[in-house]
Amino acid sequence: MKNTPPKIALKFLRWFCREDYVEEVEGDLIQIFEEESQISETKARIQFIWNVFHYLRPEFIKGFRIPHNLITMFEHNTKIAYRNFFKNKSTFFINLGGLSTGLACALLVFLWVQDERSIDKFHKKDDRLYQVMHVIEEGSTIETLDWTPMPLSGALRDQMPEVEHITASYPPGNYTFPGKAELEDKRVKVKAKYVEKDFFSVFTHPLLAGDQSDILSDKYACAISEETAVQVYGSPDEAIGKILKYEFGQYGGDYVVSGVFENIPSDASIQFDIAFNYEIFTSLNPDIMRWDYNDPCVYLTLKKGVDAKAFENKISGMVKANFPDSKGTLFLRKYSSQYLYGNYENGKQAGGRISYVILFTTIGIFLLVIACINFMNMSTARASRRTKEIGVKKSIGAKRIDLAIQHLLEALIMSLLSMVLALLIVFLILPEFSVITGKQLTLMLSPTLLISLILIAVFTGFLSGSYPALYLSGLRPINILKGGAIKSVSALWIRKGLVVFQFVISLMLILMVFTVAKQVDFIKKKNLGYDRDNVIFFNEQSPDYDALKNHLESLTGVISVSAIRGNMTDGDRNNTPHLNWKGKQEGDFVDFDDVVVASDFFETMGVNILEGRDFSQDIDREADNLIFNKTAIDQMGLIDPVGQTIELWGRQRKIIGVVNDFHLESLYKEVRPAFFRIYNESVNAVVKIEKGKTPETLEAIDAYHKEQNDGLPLDYYFLDDAYDQLYASEQRVSMLSKYFAGIAIIISCLGLFGLAAFTAEIRLKEIGIRKILGSANSQIVTLLSKEYTTMVLMANLIGLPIGYYLVNQWLNTFAFKIDLSIWFFIASGALTLLIAWFTIGFQTIKAAFLNPVECLKDE
Amino acid sequence: METPSLGEFEELVLLTVAALHDEAYGVSILENLEEKLSKKINISAIHVALKRMENKGFVTSRFGGITNDRGGRRKKFYVITAFGKNVLDNQYALRTSLYQRIPKISFG
Repeated sequence: MKNTPPKIALKFLRWFCREDYVEEVEGDLIQIFEEESQISETKARIQFIWNVFHYLRPEFIKGFRIPHNLITMFEHNTKIAYRNFFKNKSTFFINLGGLSTGLACALLVFLWVQDERSIDKFHKKDDRLYQVMHVIEEGSTIETLDWTPMPLSGALRDQMPEVEHITASYPPGNYTFPGKAELEDKRVKVKAKYVEKDFFSVFTHPLLAGDQSDILSDKYACAISEETAVQVYGSPDEAIGKILKYEFGQYGGDYVVSGVFENIPSDASIQFDIAFNYEIFTSLNPDIMRWDYNDPCVYLTLKKGVDAKAFENKISGMVKANFPDSKGTLFLRKYSSQYLYGNYENGKQAGGRISYVILFTTIGIFLLVIACINFMNMSTARASRRTKEIGVKKSIGAKRIDLAIQHLLEALIMSLLSMVLALLIVFLILPEFSVITGKQLTLMLSPTLLISLILIAVFTGFLSGSYPALYLSGLRPINILKGGAIKSVSALWIRKGLVVFQFVISLMLILMVFTVAKQVDFIKKKNLGYDRDNVIFFNEQSPDYDALKNHLESLTGVISVSAIRGNMTDGDRNNTPHLNWKGKQEGDFVDFDDVVVASDFFETMGVNILEGRDFSQDIDREADNLIFNKTAIDQMGLIDPVGQTIELWGRQRKIIGVVNDFHLESLYKEVRPAFFRIYNESVNAVVKIEKGKTPETLEAIDAYHKEQNDGLPLDYYFLDDAYDQLYASEQRVSMLSKYFAGIAIIISCLGLFGLAAFTAEIRLKEIGIRKILGSANSQIVTLLSKEYTTMVLMANLIGLPIGYYLVNQWLNTFAFKIDLSIWFFIASGALTLLIAWFTIGFQTIKAAFLNPVECLKDE
Repeated sequence: METPSLGEFEELVLLTVAALHDEAYGVSILENLEEKLSKKINISAIHVALKRMENKGFVTSRFGGITNDRGGRRKKFYVITAFGKNVLDNQYALRTSLYQRIPKISFG
């Protein structure tokens, strides 16, 4: 018996080889195989397989040539698509409108997300730029701080060879010292930072003038921003080597400008105008150079190739090693991640602004999907109108793939057209969108954006075109051409399912609008424990607080004047657990906020004094007196607190009052225990103004301020505005969710409108016959709207539980929140149903009032 | 019209096709060439050369009858065309004329 060559190789050859060559090649190969196999069969087999692979070359592979009718088909398909658009104008416009709105929303979200993600990413050494973070475990609470011990940066620089550049920075985070820079008669307000000399090597803030290597090496050197340089000296080059007089309490003095840096871009989270040498700060506060004193932020770049994880393990115990009593450990955080991932809970990363990025990305994608669904539904619904075309094409030999390509192409043309329109929409509403989001967004057609746009358009085309393409191309020509109606249960189900899905999304967005608006409203009206109306707030460094207070209080319209160190609303203040009170047990731990205020603070702020009295103006008498808030007294467990003594920082102090709890920070947090001590200086003056006399009083205060500050205008803000500012992001979400929900509903309704119109059209004859047989108009309306009502009710059934869960999750991030009432859900459900009815109402009523003669006369 | 080029290996195959006259098919060409050149050639190289020359019009082909060998596959026989022969003649004439211009001096 003859040997046979390896079957698999032979099959493979037949699979790829051109049909007109295959017999010859096979024959020759087999002949060679037969001759060789007489010597050694194994060798012959190997040789055969080897030979087969030699034919893997363009001349021998089938289908390698471009079929010449491709271009003709493309032309044909485009023409058919174009004619179809014109034939069904209403469908075309519904699709175009829906898709372009969806795309425009997706684009806006895309621009916003891109901007959010770019924050702090511009530093050249971004991949190696880290911030040292500090975790303090005290009892059951774990706090994550960006404040680190004072000597840390020096120790890291000296002991860790992995560190390339390192800098400490004070005040911590994005806070700055307010102050004034002046030169002869020019004075400008500046935001100051104290940084070490490597600051400009760690961060990328290019210098316009000055030498980067020794920019802050002199103790009295300083670097200023381009804007400040232009304001004070006229130009950056002009500023170098000049004296700059800085005014800010004990930090003030004469400094030499050694460098001018480019204005800090808006996508940097730390904004400042002037950088001083860190030594100024440490030499003015020599007693705080201790491992248990946490204040500055430390930023560093690692050398290339250093493993950040290993380095982190190396430094984590550094605080304990230098200060055994410390309960703190260190870890590294990528500097550019702080903006989006800024929140920590119990020492664990707990999101941050990224949750908004995710939220809006999801919404953007959903809007696009809703728009795509419209397209799918309309195309499949319209299928019955195009069945003849498909039938004829199939009979004369079109393959399924050809038809699928035709319909995909149609969807692609549609999505590209919509993209052009969407770009126009985005271009028109971008300025408005920038205002809402508080960003400077621009539509720069960069290559990356262009590629993204095309990708999004193609993706949309495929998403919306794939189902119709598969569905339409799968129709059987025999059924179509026989003239019977196409009955496809699955198609009907999918279409209904898609509509339900659209309404689920719209419903959830409506629910979100209700909840967010209500919660934002609740926050705005919430009683904070103090009266924030008619209170202004301004930065005023007056050496003589009493004079300021006496003068301002003498003005008509001013009710009361006080001051506070730090800000009223941001909750960023010192805290300490080092208080001893009568009956304090071993292991009792209360971390108190340390709030420094001036006399008459509680009166000015309208805080209710529960027991005792406010601070008086007699600073000598009040120096060792403290006032506590109610939470603090409760946590200490003191009974009859007024008059008791408390030991704080080694000194006995007397409690003179207890005040009602009030919020010094956002409602995301509970009121913290706090004590108040007096210091008669003015850092931030607080002035309560009589209602209705605001303008003239402000004018008088401004005049006084100018007189005291050589003509510098008063830079004040209202406390209620500052408070609203705290919830700026919530207000933005509230605003944006309203828009997006509105758009989602409009797109969904467009789809519903199209479908309803279509159903009414194909059931025209049925309606006519029903009317002839005596159906009332109302019965016809019920008949036509029943289907859609069921769909919307289904959507309610699915959407409300999911919506409830999501909304609840969001509300749980607030310590003080509204109760979710059942009415929200009923209202959202009812609203969707009403909108749906309204949308289909026109179509159904039109169909119901039809004269049966009109539709039956044809046959 | 420009005459299509004839590569070195193609020329060898074309010569073999002409020499075998009516008996030239893949394996016979391969065996002949391997014998003359005394080296191994892969059959695919022969096929590629044949296909190219067929496209250029140097050879034509026809299928033979069904045989019991070769798993029942027909042989594909190639014959040289007049055009192919012409190209070969030109090539031969060119080489001869060049060869004759070599001066008759001793090599070494």
